Amino acid sequence: MGPMVWISALICIFGLLVKFILIIKEVYEKERYLLSYITVRHSLRSIIAWLIPFYPRSTRMRPVYYGISYLFHVLLFLLPVFLMSHIVLINESFNLSWPAMNDTAADILTIGVIFALVFFVLRRRFIPDVRFLTSFMDYILILMVLLPFVTGFLAYHQVILYKWIVIAHVLSGEVLLIVIPFSRFSHMITAPLTRAYTGSEFGNIRHARDW
Amino acid sequence: MKQWKILMMFILALATSGIAFSQGEQERLNTLAFEMPRRPGAVFSHDDHTQTTEISDDCAICHHVYANKTLVPDESSEDNACSDCHSLQPDRKNSISLVNAFHKRCKECHYDLGKGPVLCGECHIKK
Ligand code: HEC
Ligand code: HEC
Ligand code: HEC
Ligand code: HEC
Repeated sequence: MGPMVWISALICIFGLLVKFILIIKEVYEKERYLLSYITVRHSLRSIIAWLIPFYPRSTRMRPVYYGISYLFHVLLFLLPVFLMSHIVLINESFNLSWPAMNDTAADILTIGVIFALVFFVLRRRFIPDVRFLTSFMDYILILMVLLPFVTGFLAYHQVILYKWIVIAHVLSGEVLLIVIPFSRFSHMITAPLTRAYTGSEFGNIRHARDW
Repeated sequence: MKQWKILMMFILALATSGIAFSQGEQERLNTLAFEMPRRPGAVFSHDDHTQTTEISDDCAICHHVYANKTLVPDESSEDNACSDCHSLQPDRKNSISLVNAFHKRCKECHYDLGKGPVLCGECHIKK
């Protein structure tokens, strides 16, 4: 495997780490009062509550959107990690190995992810409130997630232009990894921080729940 | 009616040519040691490979012999299958699993020479 995979994976991980450190630093410098009431217990309580599907009330109010969104996020991580072809490559490079998902199951779930992304686009086009909050960049970001899944699907089935599809698959995956720390995708680390803050404010000050 | 007949003949001709095409199958490895193969057997022409200038009848490039974990030069093991020594999971006797034995041997040479396939679907071509 070429060096770009490792470079992009490292940019992703270190980018997120640096971002995390910068956020914490900024809190220390500008919002010190936060530290007076933020607690581990209330933070974890809120993060965990929001991880349980359909537990927070607001998620039950929009069950279709929330259900699709929840499944999408789970698959987004599970699919690439437990895909047999990816494990074969990791195994060749590091002699590491773990159980793989069945290929047919992965195939069907990939179609699921693609449909979820199409759903997100339609939602942004047709629901007025969301449309108002949507910028062109949001569609570009959705496209960036869509590409690795579509090209991966086409490559597995060896439909057309196999070589080019695989190259597109690898490149789009690498671009996605690199973009994560510099875009809204970094909500993978900022979302739990938001929960920690909200959870602590509700739990520790208002003595209420935030779910 | 006549046009229909011609059309049918045409479709029939296409269909049969498809069958004729798939009968000219490429040579494939179908290693039985993989009990439940998850990919179509890899395309591999033994003759074409032994005749390339890079290999030129040096059978031990692929059919190697090891003693005490060190390669024995000038000896070859073409009477053994790779799976005789490489098992599905790496173990203490041999740290290279069967899949990796194949993949490393095939891909590294192709990669180094800049010739021959390195992508999954170029070897595991769909039937
Ligand atoms: C590019 C690698 C490569 C080279 C070079 C090579 N072989 Fe092989 N050969 C293979 C592979 C792979 C198999 C299949 C082994 C298996 O199924 O475990 C094989 C199988 C065989 C078999 C067993 C065939 C059977 O049907 O069971 C014989 C015999 C053999 N090779 C002889 C030779 C001889 C003689 C040479 C040198 C002229 C040679 N090989 C060079 C890769 C190679
Ligand atoms: C006589 C037993 C034996 C046979 C037959 C055999 N191997 Fe090996 N092979 C070994 C041993 C032992 C090692 C060293 C493993 C270790 O370092 O733990 C090894 C190492 C390897 C390695 C890694 C080192 C290197 O040379 O790059 C590859 C790749 C490999 N074998 C491929 C094959 C392939 C492909 C075949 C069939 C064409 C084959 N082997 C047949 C015993 C064998
Ligand atoms: C020592 C080098 C070497 C090894 C080992 C080797 N190959 Fe190759 N292979 C080549 C070269 C060189 C070519 C290109 C031949 C050409 O273009 O004339 C090639 C071409 C191919 C092709 C394409 C043939 C075509 O018609 O285009 C396939 C498929 C292939 N190899 C499969 C394999 C598999 C499977 C293995 C492992 C069992 C393997 N090779 C091991 C050197 C190697
Ligand atoms: C250079 C040719 C080559 C390339 C490229 C290649 N393989 Fe293989 N692969 C083989 C050979 C040879 C075998 C063992 C013989 C067989 O059964 O086909 C094999 C075996 C396997 C096996 C175990 C047998 C099975 O069907 O379960 C898996 C899984 C596999 N390959 C997956 C992949 C994946 C995924 C990729 C791409 C990341 C890949 N291979 C790329 C040649 C190749």
